Amino acid sequence: MKKLITAVALAVGLVAQAHAAYPDKAVTIIVPFPPGGSTDMVARAIAPKLQQSLGQPFVIDNRAGATGAIGATAVKNAAPDGYTFMVASIGVFAVNPFIQKKLQYDPVKDLDPITVAVRAPNVLVASPGFPANTVAELVALLKKTPEKITFATSGAGSSDHLTAALFWQKTGTTGVHVPYKGGAPAITDLLAGHADVSFQNINAVIAHIKAGKLKVLAVTGDKRSPLLPQVPTLGEAGVPDVNVFSWQGIAAPKGLPAEVKQKLHAAIVAALNDPENRKRMEDIGFEIVANTPEQMAQFQAQELARWKQVIEVGKIALD
Amino acid sequence: MDLFSHLALGFSTAASAANLSYCLLGVFLGTAIGVLPGLGPVATIAMLLPVTFGLPPETALIMLAGIFYGAQYGGSTTAILVNLPGESSSVVTALDGYQMARQGRAGTALATAAIASFFAGTVCTFLIALAAPPLSEVALKFGPADYFSLMVLGLVASIVLASGSLLHALGMIILGLLLGLIGTDVNSGLPRFSFDLPELSDGINFVVVAMGVFGLGEIIANLQTEKTRSVALARITGLMPSRDDLKRIIAPILRGTALGSSLGILPGGGAMLSSFAAYSLEKKTSKNSAQFGKGAIEGVAAPEAANNAGAQASFIPMLTLGIPSNPVMALMIGALIMHGIQPGPQVMVEQPALFWGLVVSMWIGNLFLLILNLPLIGLWVKMISVPYHFLYPAILVFCGIGVFSLSNTSFDVFMMAGFGVLGYVFRKLDCEPAPMMLGFILGPMMEEYLRRAMLMSKGNAMVLVTRPISATLLAVSAVALVVVLLPALRKKREEAFKD
Repeated sequence: MKKLITAVALAVGLVAQAHAAYPDKAVTIIVPFPPGGSTDMVARAIAPKLQQSLGQPFVIDNRAGATGAIGATAVKNAAPDGYTFMVASIGVFAVNPFIQKKLQYDPVKDLDPITVAVRAPNVLVASPGFPANTVAELVALLKKTPEKITFATSGAGSSDHLTAALFWQKTGTTGVHVPYKGGAPAITDLLAGHADVSFQNINAVIAHIKAGKLKVLAVTGDKRSPLLPQVPTLGEAGVPDVNVFSWQGIAAPKGLPAEVKQKLHAAIVAALNDPENRKRMEDIGFEIVANTPEQMAQFQAQELARWKQVIEVGKIALD
Repeated sequence: MDLFSHLALGFSTAASAANLSYCLLGVFLGTAIGVLPGLGPVATIAMLLPVTFGLPPETALIMLAGIFYGAQYGGSTTAILVNLPGESSSVVTALDGYQMARQGRAGTALATAAIASFFAGTVCTFLIALAAPPLSEVALKFGPADYFSLMVLGLVASIVLASGSLLHALGMIILGLLLGLIGTDVNSGLPRFSFDLPELSDGINFVVVAMGVFGLGEIIANLQTEKTRSVALARITGLMPSRDDLKRIIAPILRGTALGSSLGILPGGGAMLSSFAAYSLEKKTSKNSAQFGKGAIEGVAAPEAANNAGAQASFIPMLTLGIPSNPVMALMIGALIMHGIQPGPQVMVEQPALFWGLVVSMWIGNLFLLILNLPLIGLWVKMISVPYHFLYPAILVFCGIGVFSLSNTSFDVFMMAGFGVLGYVFRKLDCEPAPMMLGFILGPMMEEYLRRAMLMSKGNAMVLVTRPISATLLAVSAVALVVVLLPALRKKREEAFKD
């Protein structure tokens, strides 16, 4: 008798579970980078809002390593049930396939895009003692003595390295690429004048620009940044087609059920547009995008095509 | 005077009831996670980051900073009691601290560590208050070539860490350098020795190696000699340092503080070197140098002072330039940004309450730590008299949790187990792991800085001797090498004659 009751109870429980509305347990947000960076910040900003609106804990799981490939592979291997999704950056979605030979995920085939969360233009900065004050002067210098001008980047194959490569390709110049382990040490050497120029995320250098410790030559967006209204875009400065944004997108394992995707998408978009979050993001130079899964897929395809070409032309492929 | 009005502002901020209690909470949490092997401040601060959004920025920062330096205190506790250095800086504390614990002087070692840390913390707080901006300007003078030469000096000093055979020490350093090669090459972005395992593409985490080689290796060795261990621990002498002990540690604390605060301001890895450097310096200059490695109290006092001074000084580049010198500082910068404050030179001007409040709170936090830790010593010391068959499984579990929390992967836990076996083998072969750890830390940094210096100079190696800082450091390294090698060679000769 007891067994029967247990069985019935179990069966009822199972049925109840099958019909329960998503989400009925904790959701994992994988961040394929260490805590504290831009991507982690986006995840940590939306998690509490999602928790409020969907009523379940949203737990952030930092799976750093291999420029995001470890975390992205973990997402690929997770069940497409909405209980695992990822906040990741341009590199994970649009660059890794061209620079890592043994990549274990495919950013298109293995991931279901949900939305582009935020984007921010990069800025072209120079150390305070660098002779060039404008983009034109920099290009002239690069044509004269390319072997003397160092471009600090946050690593071989990083988005700022690729931006530099694209800049060289569009201006017919070249410079000395000096990679660092991340943006912070690169900025340190720029401040000190050990390195000359760099493309950096706006939020990483805005304080130094405002304090006059770094020169700013241009922003890489298609329009001027509200944080730096007096600074021209690269297009305005005479270098067209280098509209580069660093962006953070949100994706789930491929095959997310439509109703779950819809619910998750709506909640994420609301969390991003939450006035408090919006202000926080905009204050540090991000622009909220919060578009549809279709728009993200289309944008990702464009980015993949663009960086593939930059990497091939610049012979950047790592192995 | 400006300084006094600033400090007064700092005190009025830091001494508010809310800030005091968050400071206490921070150092308490920090001590707790520091004591648990492997669990570090990075994971804790990352988890608490969203909680701080609701707090005013200075309160948030005061608490997070408390966790950071609290963890430094706590980390030395496990290093001394069970030979488990959870941070690179406590590797050297374990050398003599653990020996002291085995001799029944764990209480003295812990008290020495607490006193040394408090003194260093106090000095460093004043240093930040007095001279943070000019110091950060000095730090920026260090270019890639200079850092390379600094690392060379560090590597030379690491030979001193070993108390046994010189040949073994050199071998271990080279092994450490080789282990450090694993991971992605910074310049080309190509993976090296990663065997296509993505988990190895960022290299091996320091904590994985340290937990394995020191902690697990120690446990395996202890299980083999269980009986002698309990005998050795039976007689616990006084908890507090005697008058004679105090006399012996004053000078090492002063030297350690000076070294720690000067190396700590260098954002490119100076703080990491400070405890190693302080230990090597003491071992070479102390009149008790024969005792080093066998439980010399100076060998605990100097590196602990240097380690805490280095930790506090690493706030200088963070607060004045917005430059993180370690992952914890990177998180703090993240926290500031989330509060709408752009870390950089203008924080001092635009947010004086935040800047001075934090500086003063660090001193208060150090005081809390001293008050918190001294009475706890008795408790900690009792902990190691727990029967080993209860103690070691607990240590194993905590090591596992701690290592897992590094990047949430079981791969690291298995790797730690592998290093544990290796640690036992080292012990059997009489090879001390500390020089290997230093080679492992310094190798990749040395390579990175050298190659960057070469990129910038277009392959001209002369930059290493034409830059004054670099040339000086290399000259000091050369002298140090002679000082280090001469006695060892002489001893070798004597041994040879004896035979």
